[in-house]
Amino acid sequence: MKEILKRLCADMGISGRESEMLNIVRELIGESAYVSADKNGNIIASLGDMNADKHIMIDAHIDRIGLIVTYIDDEGFIKAENVGGIDQRTLPSSAVKVLGKEKISGVICTVPPHLTDGDGEPSRDRIWIDTGLSAAEVRELVSLGDSIIVCSRYTELLNDRVAVSALDDRSGCAVLINTIKLLKDRTLPCRVSFVFSVQEETNELGAQTAAFSLSPDEAVVIDAGFAKQEGVPDEKSGDLGCGGIISIAPVLSKAVTDKLIDISKRLDMKCDYEVSGSTTGTNADKIAVSGSGVRTGVISIPSKNMHTQTEIVSIKDMEKISELLAVYITEGGAENA
Amino acid sequence: MLDYKLLERLCTADGISGQEDEVRNIILEEIAPFADDVRTDNSGNILVFKKGKKTPSKKMLISAHMDEVGFIVTYINKDGTLKFEAVGGVNDSAAFAKNVKIGKNKIRGVVCSKPVHLLKADEKKKYPPISSLCIDIGAKDREEAEKYVSLGDMIAFDSPYENKDGRIISKAIDDRFGCLVLTELIKSELEYDMYFSFVVQEEVGLRGSRTAAFTVDPDCAIVIEATTASDVPFAENEKRVCSAGGGAVITFMDRATIYDREYYNIGMECAKELGVKAQTKTMIAGGNDAGAIHCSRGGVRTMAVSVPCRYIHSSSSLACIEDMEAVYSVVKASAEKILSL
Repeated sequence: MKEILKRLCADMGISGRESEMLNIVRELIGESAYVSADKNGNIIASLGDMNADKHIMIDAHIDRIGLIVTYIDDEGFIKAENVGGIDQRTLPSSAVKVLGKEKISGVICTVPPHLTDGDGEPSRDRIWIDTGLSAAEVRELVSLGDSIIVCSRYTELLNDRVAVSALDDRSGCAVLINTIKLLKDRTLPCRVSFVFSVQEETNELGAQTAAFSLSPDEAVVIDAGFAKQEGVPDEKSGDLGCGGIISIAPVLSKAVTDKLIDISKRLDMKCDYEVSGSTTGTNADKIAVSGSGVRTGVISIPSKNMHTQTEIVSIKDMEKISELLAVYITEGGAENA
Repeated sequence: MLDYKLLERLCTADGISGQEDEVRNIILEEIAPFADDVRTDNSGNILVFKKGKKTPSKKMLISAHMDEVGFIVTYINKDGTLKFEAVGGVNDSAAFAKNVKIGKNKIRGVVCSKPVHLLKADEKKKYPPISSLCIDIGAKDREEAEKYVSLGDMIAFDSPYENKDGRIISKAIDDRFGCLVLTELIKSELEYDMYFSFVVQEEVGLRGSRTAAFTVDPDCAIVIEATTASDVPFAENEKRVCSAGGGAVITFMDRATIYDREYYNIGMECAKELGVKAQTKTMIAGGNDAGAIHCSRGGVRTMAVSVPCRYIHSSSSLACIEDMEAVYSVVKASAEKILSL
């Protein structure tokens, strides 16, 4: 799992630029499933009995938040705007990679403490990138619309926890790939489409169109959820290492959710629950109302520092969720209505 | 060219004020074959004497500091995360979501805050203060964290060093660059006898330089630093202070020192004669070891030559190699000129 995750947390593939990830996903899945890409760039891995009555979609989004080049000034500084809900409080003095004709290192401009009384307000006007190159050099290598990744080192912490950027939702993608590996030699009672969907962070576009094209009966969405940490309410979060967070919400299918809870109990997972009175803030909201409707459930991977370059997840949680998904699929999903 | 491989070793070593050992050991090893006398004093400063071709009538001290800004562990929370405070001046905005190394065993951690999704309107309008942040090392609880971390452990940024296309991006260029220049001077052939000090604890109040200057008792001094270049798009005119790529920075005044006017002029003239770029600071801002040295004992005539460096006191500062080379040339020429007077 760690090796899969490390490869997936590559410095590329912000929303709208997910095709950069296609080869990595293909390589990681290898011969374990049939892999294709659709018009929007969703990557779909198919498995199981293509003629079965039931079709299950398992979704994780492949895009990551980032920045996009909007302007280059006469001194070579690059103006950027956010793609997705990046936490702007983390940006000053952060290291970035500008994905131009080559990968260029840079730093987000800031003013040192010697010259200021305080940091001021986090603001989109302040997102300027310094590569140290001249305007001519920058213009040669970088075009408007190129993506910028806010980076951090892939860091292994204690207790099988990992800190790096893009865990939302490359950790979910790693769970999908691991599940495919667990299932590859099993005979399945259903058709399964694993969707690595695009543009979740901007408007959940990929999952919406993939769900329409695939027209599944059921779907399970794997995304990052809040882990318990200072400032996060207990009812909105799960313990890192708890196994996973199962969502309960009116827009989700009770049958799918109950089945996920049932399996988690059989697997001795100490899952936490996140109950919402409306939508879930994940791809599930769009998938559930796709076509004539899709019975949908959500499991989240507990994650600290969401939408920063140092998100933290537990490898153990990812492994548990992967096992749960494998059982769910092997048993043919939820009870039929 | 200066030895930028050595600069990489110096910058990636961790030496938060008060715990400069790693940096000191690299420097001691590098200078041993070239110095005539090397001592480490009670404060932890390295004091060096190197003979030149001639013995001058004045005693010249060239100084740089070994320490860097960082953080210190002040408390271990029940949930295994660590509370910490800044050592030296670090902006609130420079801390959150950075990778860090803790203590002698370099335990890896990351700086955490409440996720952006859950912020109230007023919380979105500011950077989370360092007092509200904590570091996660992955420990399950306090008991487990205590096995890996102790109160008082120093915390350094864990960020990469990059040298590409004529610029360097790294933590701690302030002031490992100064340490590099001193080391290169000690390795070079000198016209005159000179004294050098690699000092501790600049960032917490110019403490090492105070004792070093007392011991060496110089007549004149040159401090080598990395200083605040603020030539970014949202700063204009004098607020830019100095520019990366604009050459060696020779300062006439900062918050700690009014520099010797004749030495300032000598520095500018040397740059002109050498054909290298030089500039000055357009704001009276910051301060450095000159503040302690110039008023040591009966007074020391002092100048400061710095590399302009953007984003100092953060995990990723940026400086140009061309400026670094200019600082070295200006320092060497200015020291020789002052001693020839």
